[in-house]
Amino acid sequence: MTLTGDSQQRIDAYLGRLRGRLRGIKDDEVREIVEELRSHIMDKAAASGEANGEVTAARVDAALTALGSPEELASQYMTDTLLARAEVSRSPVRILRGLFRWASLSIAGFFVMLGSILGYFFAAVFILVAVLKPFHPRTAGLWVFANSAGDSEISFRMGFGSVPSGGKDVLGWWTVPIGWMVGCGLVMLTTHVALWFVRQYRKSRALP
Amino acid sequence: MKERDARDLETGDKWEVQLRKGCLELAILAALWDGRGYGLEILRRLESDSDLVVSEGTVYPLLSRLKALGLVRSEWVASDAGHPRKYYALTPAGKRRALEMAGIWAQFSSSMSKLLAPLTKENE
Repeated sequence: MTLTGDSQQRIDAYLGRLRGRLRGIKDDEVREIVEELRSHIMDKAAASGEANGEVTAARVDAALTALGSPEELASQYMTDTLLARAEVSRSPVRILRGLFRWASLSIAGFFVMLGSILGYFFAAVFILVAVLKPFHPRTAGLWVFANSAGDSEISFRMGFGSVPSGGKDVLGWWTVPIGWMVGCGLVMLTTHVALWFVRQYRKSRALP
Repeated sequence: MKERDARDLETGDKWEVQLRKGCLELAILAALWDGRGYGLEILRRLESDSDLVVSEGTVYPLLSRLKALGLVRSEWVASDAGHPRKYYALTPAGKRRALEMAGIWAQFSSSMSKLLAPLTKENE
């Protein structure tokens, strides 16, 4: 089949816009997506006309319109891929990577990403303190002490450096099991909440 | 009153969209049951074997999702058309999933049909 330069340009422009919106997806996956759609457009444009095989600009345009806007298509790829990965792996790293992509698409995604980062961050702090307690038995843990203003202050310490005098290690060795429990609980909670938001987002964008 | 009617209509539309989208995954797995196929071929099977109206922009991301879930695998095959095509085929997990979904579907639709029998008569 033959393709006029003009049609080729339209296809390249469409796929270029799509590629630009697929940031964050692995390079070879992006290439596969783009090549698959190029093949679809060629088939569609050739099939919708007579058998002489010439692909006219009008037919290419019709094929591109039927696919929808590159932005819409890209966002479907990103959320579909994101959720599928998350469903399969449940790993915080994968979820955060997916959320990072979503955040680049919408404000809602940005806030869900921010919340998830905070959730995983606090989880990491709890687990770290639990891990470090055996190494710094006298200084790591949940401390309560009076600050310079005379109020009591609560601080979670990894055990590096010294503790202000008059402080009290509230949890003692309970720091270890409680740190692990709260930390792991936070990881699970954050994962569930993030996936719930992603599912709502997908539902709200359902297309016929 | 009018406003309320409009809202009801919108909820109805959304319901239909959800229903179609929910079935699309099973529809694609079913279209691949008899053998491998590339995107446009799958779309045509869906249209010819059923009256499902499917948007092209929905099928391709969904195929990529099914692949990420391990339900289908893909390979590039050279064609007479002058460009390669990406063929999809069910994996063993995809076959199991399709059978499972088909079973659920059959049971569900027969239950719904019984329940809806009086309404169907009314519609005729």
